[in-house]
Amino acid sequence: MASSSAPKYNSHSLESSSIKRTLKDGANWEKSEEIPRLPGETRVTDKDVIYMCPFNGPVKGRVYITNYRLYLRSVENDPVVVLDVPLGVISRIEKMGGASSRGENSYGLDITCKDMRNLRFALKQEGHSRRDIFEVLTKHAFPQSHNLLFFAFANEEKFSENGWMVYNPMSEYRRQGLPNERWRVTFINEHYGLCDTYPSLLVVPYNATDDDLKKVAAFRSRNRIPGCNQVLSWIHPENQAVIMRCSQPLVGMSGKRNKDDERYLDIIREANGQISKLTIYDARPNVNAVANKATGGGYESEDAYPNAELFFLDIHNIHVMRESLKKLKDIVYPNVEESHWLSSLESTHWLEHIKLVLTGAIQVADKVSSGRSSVLVHCSDGWDRTAQLTSLAMLMLDSYYRTIEGFEVLVQKEWISFGHKFASRIGHGDKNHADADRSPIFLQFIDCVWQMSKQFPTAFEFNEQLLITILDHLYSCRFGTFLYNSESVREKEKVTEKTLSLWSLINSEKSKYTNPFYSKELNRALYPVASMRHLELWVNYYIRWNPRIRQQQPNPVEQRYMELLALRDDYMRRLEELQITNNSKISNSSASSTSPSQMMSQIQTHF
Amino acid sequence: MSAARGGLSALPVLPGEVVLEAARGVRHRGAGGSVRGTLLCTNVRVAFVPGAQPPSFSPFLQSDYSVALRCIRTLVAASSFTKPTVLTATSTLSFIPEELAVFCRDFRLLRFHFPENGLGLQAFRVANAIAQAWETATWPGDSGSHVDATMGDDEDEEEGSPPTLLFESLQDWERELQRLGAVGWRVSAVNERFDMAPSLPRYLWVPSALLDHDLKRTFAHFQERRVARLCWHHPNGSDLLRAAGFHAASEPGSEDIRCLEVLLGAGCRPCVLADTAELPSPPDIQLAHLRLRALCLPGAAADEKWLSALEGTRWLEHIRACLRKAVEVASLLAGRRCSVVLQEPSDRDLSCLLASLVQLLADPHARSLRGFQSLVQREWVAAGHPFPQRLGLRRDSPREESPVFLLFLDCTWQLLRQFPAAFGFTEAYLLALHDSAFLPYCSTFLFSCQRQRGRGGVQQPRTQTYTPVSSRWDPPGSTVCRLPPVWAWGLRYSRQQRARFRNPAWDPGPVGTPDAVDPQNTGTPSSTWSGSSSGAVLALSKGSLTPQPFPWRSGRPPPRLLRWAPSLETLSDRGGDPIPPPPRGLLLPCAAGPSVRLWRRCYLRGLPEAQHGRLAPCPALLLEELALLQERLRAWQQDGAHAEPASSPLAPSRQRRVAAIGGAR
Repeated sequence: MASSSAPKYNSHSLESSSIKRTLKDGANWEKSEEIPRLPGETRVTDKDVIYMCPFNGPVKGRVYITNYRLYLRSVENDPVVVLDVPLGVISRIEKMGGASSRGENSYGLDITCKDMRNLRFALKQEGHSRRDIFEVLTKHAFPQSHNLLFFAFANEEKFSENGWMVYNPMSEYRRQGLPNERWRVTFINEHYGLCDTYPSLLVVPYNATDDDLKKVAAFRSRNRIPGCNQVLSWIHPENQAVIMRCSQPLVGMSGKRNKDDERYLDIIREANGQISKLTIYDARPNVNAVANKATGGGYESEDAYPNAELFFLDIHNIHVMRESLKKLKDIVYPNVEESHWLSSLESTHWLEHIKLVLTGAIQVADKVSSGRSSVLVHCSDGWDRTAQLTSLAMLMLDSYYRTIEGFEVLVQKEWISFGHKFASRIGHGDKNHADADRSPIFLQFIDCVWQMSKQFPTAFEFNEQLLITILDHLYSCRFGTFLYNSESVREKEKVTEKTLSLWSLINSEKSKYTNPFYSKELNRALYPVASMRHLELWVNYYIRWNPRIRQQQPNPVEQRYMELLALRDDYMRRLEELQITNNSKISNSSASSTSPSQMMSQIQTHF
Repeated sequence: MSAARGGLSALPVLPGEVVLEAARGVRHRGAGGSVRGTLLCTNVRVAFVPGAQPPSFSPFLQSDYSVALRCIRTLVAASSFTKPTVLTATSTLSFIPEELAVFCRDFRLLRFHFPENGLGLQAFRVANAIAQAWETATWPGDSGSHVDATMGDDEDEEEGSPPTLLFESLQDWERELQRLGAVGWRVSAVNERFDMAPSLPRYLWVPSALLDHDLKRTFAHFQERRVARLCWHHPNGSDLLRAAGFHAASEPGSEDIRCLEVLLGAGCRPCVLADTAELPSPPDIQLAHLRLRALCLPGAAADEKWLSALEGTRWLEHIRACLRKAVEVASLLAGRRCSVVLQEPSDRDLSCLLASLVQLLADPHARSLRGFQSLVQREWVAAGHPFPQRLGLRRDSPREESPVFLLFLDCTWQLLRQFPAAFGFTEAYLLALHDSAFLPYCSTFLFSCQRQRGRGGVQQPRTQTYTPVSSRWDPPGSTVCRLPPVWAWGLRYSRQQRARFRNPAWDPGPVGTPDAVDPQNTGTPSSTWSGSSSGAVLALSKGSLTPQPFPWRSGRPPPRLLRWAPSLETLSDRGGDPIPPPPRGLLLPCAAGPSVRLWRRCYLRGLPEAQHGRLAPCPALLLEELALLQERLRAWQQDGAHAEPASSPLAPSRQRRVAAIGGAR
């Protein structure tokens, strides 16, 4: 049964496998033009090229370039080699070789992608084919640098679900029981006047007036003029302890203090009736926090904040993370480092950074849950490490965020609306590949989520495929979801009106992204083991282009389990039907006091 | 004393087992938290009976809380006043212990904590008793009169599948040879009295063309007289043989040479000699395992250095070498009709591993639960792998310890991880087998060859019984061999546990035999072979075939090196985006670094961080639930027909059963 059904998904993702085997009679490919095209996608050019496949050797084919993708199809039909790459993943295009080099196909093009691969093409000298393709690619891969719109604005796809409706800040706060007598919703940032990188709707302590907020804002973070407040991310349903986020205080070399900020932190502490100290987690290594004083930043000193205790979480900055991922790519693409795989992996430090992020998030979550203490999380600006920590802690504490929809809400809230600078970190449509602002912070977060889902295979409603799809469209620019740096810019660009949401795609075919082992458990805090002994490299993502590394998709155990679940549902339904008919027959028999529904719940208990 | 008796009654003892000491109110600290109960020391094991736990229905039942004395590697007692002390029988405790840590050979770590309130003496006595008993505990194979248990084979029935073959009897060998369809091969009883080769099994598969009379000529030319014999036959006609190294001093005459060549299948098809030079040696394996074990202790390596420390054990490297070699041999067998002779000097260690690994890759039958057990039985137990020495269970031979068998289990786990639907058994099964290697109450791993087992008094399958003179292995009145084989899972594992042994995702594929491979398909250019005559003798090394004469031949080999394609390197490193799908039934695992993982669930069990609740829900439980639902459905349907509330599926007994199953998790 399991083997006969066609694979539903494929870890190469982007809805295309890189290699397809088709029958020999599929000739005439040039005319049949089975090139996939989205509504709104327009063809720009096509050229004969040789694709220098690092695994397979040179492949003769024809490349098609549209305003959305680069699509290559081999001339050879057995097997057909297909390459389907959204232009958004391209980070750099380089010419290699040329007139000075010898050989028929000496005109080369090297394309560096954001998704852990490089593509190399060889072109003929005649007709300036390389120059043409280089120019077309550059123009459409980097629309921002050429005053063009992202493909998301041209995309005319239709979905049965509207992903923009997934996240409504007000209903998300209401889900958490907010506002209440201690916390209120404020519209002070409605026009992004208080902080242009924060959402318009904020939750703050009831006892803090809007005037207080403005004063405090001036004392937080150098980059966000006038700065940002401590605002609520999540409230514990039982002990009312909260997770707050903010940016670093503007302490500076002179050790400035701000009475309003100090009082505000006290208000937060008191808001859950807490007598003990407020816990502040500074995501940075201690030395970095000190160094930040030189540029006007800093951290909360003990003198100024006697009712708070400060911990540093030792997570490194965006530059360190970028270099780490670069090293990781070096050992997995195109060839996997063979002789010393594990020590090479160790020397990238990638897993170690993952570990530190997870460790930090565990501390935050544990403090809120077991320590019953409100916590405040910040790094320098509060949009990278802070987002990682708060969102992961929330994922550990609140089972709602482990559902497909809840996870979408989490990403939408903690990352998109609270101003993780996606545009700068990913560099959407920007040709400046060496921009120091780029960093795989969001990828790291998704990796952490994957690590958690590995350690708790039943706790997440979504599967690995959802995570890979999110990462693919983080770069693709097919959806408006991850475009731009903040809510205010997104509003200005009318993203929700003019583009589609990634969640529309996902929610329209949820079954593809559902984890069959998921069992709903409410209010159970999950603490993954953040030890190198238990963390793993996400092979299905980082090494997915290498056909040598085995990936079994779909997992046959999962498939079998899904079949069994379907069978169980069928039995349960039939049983219920029978019971209803039987109950009506022997309705006066008081002996069977157990109702069918009771029995059902009984059966379900061991899942 | 009442404390001890209380514990005594709660522990169902083995026949012949005596409780030596007991301490109540002890806390066991495990991954699931701390449990209170009674700690007992018997002459067989250290057992812990949790306070609330009802006595298990069988004394053999596997428990997370107890450990056989001989499975203990190190005992450490600790208190807050002194530094931790390693306990031995001679070094008696000089303080009242607060904690006793038992480091087990199967990678478990049991921690028993003694509360302070007046239990000091008990703690002292039980700790000392354990140290004493551990030191003096005899291995059944040592004395033979250890446990007197009479048990039948309690294998649970599996519909339609053949039973586990023990390869003690002639019928088993005949039956398996028939299954393989190995025409041209026969069962020879030439070693029935173990006088031809003492460490070989009674029966051997040899070419039909070779009479026993001629066969006898060949023994002398192999080390330890371990002659070449068939292991496995590919339906395309290829044969897998195994043999010890050629005897250095032998000088076969021309008649002997003829017999040897018939035996090796040389002459009519290429004969490939595959030695074990690229595989780790038993000392390598032992060293790697020691390092791995040390590394898997709590706090053994700084976390940020874990990966390189793991690499430094070389354990994973050894696994990769074994997988690579097995892939080479398996694709060679599938690629063209040939005979491959696995040759290890002793033929008792890596040959066992390689022969069974190749069969796991090539023969779907070997991947069924029973097929796997038969495979272990033939290639390890019957073939004379010296289990007692290699597992380090004998006191007299500590130097010979080398967990070759455990390395094989790890290789199997790697295959299972890479091909989750190709096996009839699960990780839980492999783990159970791993742990069972150290159990004193199974006979399977107690002996180093069939001859020794026979002397132990196993039931003789033949009518004429020749009993060699009694040796030190054979005390009169021995009852050892009445112990059940390790495969009698029903004795040690509950029904629910055993349900987890079966892989519900298993796709046995087409019943029968694997495909022959089209040589073009795997990339074996026929030209690589055509250069050599059909009677060529080649050596397989580093993925290449080199012509190599038999040592007794004077002919010179042609100097040309033949590159043989379908090794792992060529097949996969070539990159081959369109890797040709391996022929049906043939598994070609990837041995690259990222694909070979640490078997965490086995080796990291002793670590404090919980592995609790981190398993995916087991489909076996779902299957059980389905059976229950089905039954209930049937009952209701009958109800509907007869309208008889008395047989309602909601009858209390049924409900209890549901609850029991739910609780068993």
